[in-house]
Amino acid sequence: MKVTREKEEDCQVFLTIELEPAEVEEALEQSYKRLAKRANIPGFRKGKAPRAVLERHLGKDRLLEDALNELLPQVYEKALKDEGIEAIASPSIEITQTEPVVFKATVPLKPTITLGDYHSLKLKAEPATVKNEEVEEVIEQLRRQHGTWEPMERAADFDDLVTMDVEGYVEEKPLVSQQGVQYQLLKDQPMPVPGFAEELVGVKGGEDKEFKLQLPQDYPRAEVAGKEARFKVKVAEIKQQRLPELDKEFVQTVNPELKTVAALRKQLSANLLIRAEQKAKEEFEEKVIDAVADLSQVAFPPVLVDSEVERLLEQQTRWLQAGGGGMEEYMSRVGKTEKEIREEMRPLAAKRVSRSLVLGQFAEEAKIEVTDAEINAELESIVQSAGGDKDEMRKRLDSSQARLSVEQILTTRKAIQQLVEIAGGAKGARKKK
Amino acid sequence: MHQYEILRRPLITEKNTAIQAPQGKYAFEVAAGANKEQVKQAVEKAFNVSVTGVNMMTVPGKGRRARGKIVMTPSWKKAVVTLKPGDKIELFEGV
Repeated sequence: MKVTREKEEDCQVFLTIELEPAEVEEALEQSYKRLAKRANIPGFRKGKAPRAVLERHLGKDRLLEDALNELLPQVYEKALKDEGIEAIASPSIEITQTEPVVFKATVPLKPTITLGDYHSLKLKAEPATVKNEEVEEVIEQLRRQHGTWEPMERAADFDDLVTMDVEGYVEEKPLVSQQGVQYQLLKDQPMPVPGFAEELVGVKGGEDKEFKLQLPQDYPRAEVAGKEARFKVKVAEIKQQRLPELDKEFVQTVNPELKTVAALRKQLSANLLIRAEQKAKEEFEEKVIDAVADLSQVAFPPVLVDSEVERLLEQQTRWLQAGGGGMEEYMSRVGKTEKEIREEMRPLAAKRVSRSLVLGQFAEEAKIEVTDAEINAELESIVQSAGGDKDEMRKRLDSSQARLSVEQILTTRKAIQQLVEIAGGAKGARKKK
Repeated sequence: MHQYEILRRPLITEKNTAIQAPQGKYAFEVAAGANKEQVKQAVEKAFNVSVTGVNMMTVPGKGRRARGKIVMTPSWKKAVVTLKPGDKIELFEGV
């Protein structure tokens, strides 16, 4: 065995390994014995065919392939040991030549992480505030939710609710046909056709209207896209929304515990503040992690990015399936192949990898540890929030694997917290109330 | 019978491969009407070797069940050809 070590880059070593013919011969002999036992060759009992016969029957390549499958991992292990290389994942092996056998192994190495001077990192958290307008907006929403629709004797305007019978045709073929449908006239509403709502502005109760609309080129139903549609509308009734007055009574319907409008405002703004604080905290954490990652020197082999891409893709697939569409539909919708999607994910994946490496390194350097009690507490809180059979859940979570992953989560969380405290000054972000 | 019709196919079996190298004997299925002399000439011509002896036998057909009755598989003729020491037939090296 001859091993040539080539240049290193991206935390990878390229090894070119040439095998001695004798080594290969031995492996071939072994794989012949193995294969002969299973090969069914007419005229021979199993395992009794001579090697020449077997070679002709299965093909020499098949034998070589089998032999190399067995031999390569061993040789590779040995080469790593001889060269003193520590690999973190399985290599990608490429056989370049068979006489004699030469193969190339790309060995991913441990990532190297040099944390920057994170102690000097000083970042300021954006203070969480709630503007008056935001409160007013929520109140508006509440009023709309509790609003009542009242019939009006006047021409329809935007935001009105129109009750009507509608029939639509594209070249004599029915597009829509609905009786007594309620339709709210919203500006720039794309359903059923852009411009539909605008046409209805100004109609009165009991009135008929006919009009034509051009369907857009990107209309969801491809067979009618770009064509002209005729609509016949018979308006039955026009309703306008009456918003409830902002008074005590309204407050009571929203929340019976509150007495005055001022109390409602106060409660809403408190809720909003909690949410804003949460958001500000998360943003600040992100910012801190990014900053630390920027400060640090991180080098890692591309396989890590590949596996991260894999994970992201899987996540997205699951997410899409939950939405009912599935990956294939998504791909056809955005018009991309799986390969392109993978390619697009790479920068994000690389960022995530380097962030998690930096956090891991920090946790190690800062000696962040998680106690058993903390893990138990976390597991218990998962059980409590899960619902369903609690004992069942407890049993499922009581494995060393689950504990390990919880431990990782907790370590990461602690690391982030500590980093945030360092960056925001010891009393830092958490005290921002 | 033409020379090309004499040899039907080589017989490659456990027994035949076992006697190839040590004894220089090769087995063929041959036409039912062939005789030793014809087999000798056919082998010498086809594989460019010299033949020192030919043994022949008729392998009787065997009973086989088909549609509930016993039917016979056809009988065929086997020839075992001994070559001059050192001669080889490449066709048998594997297949």
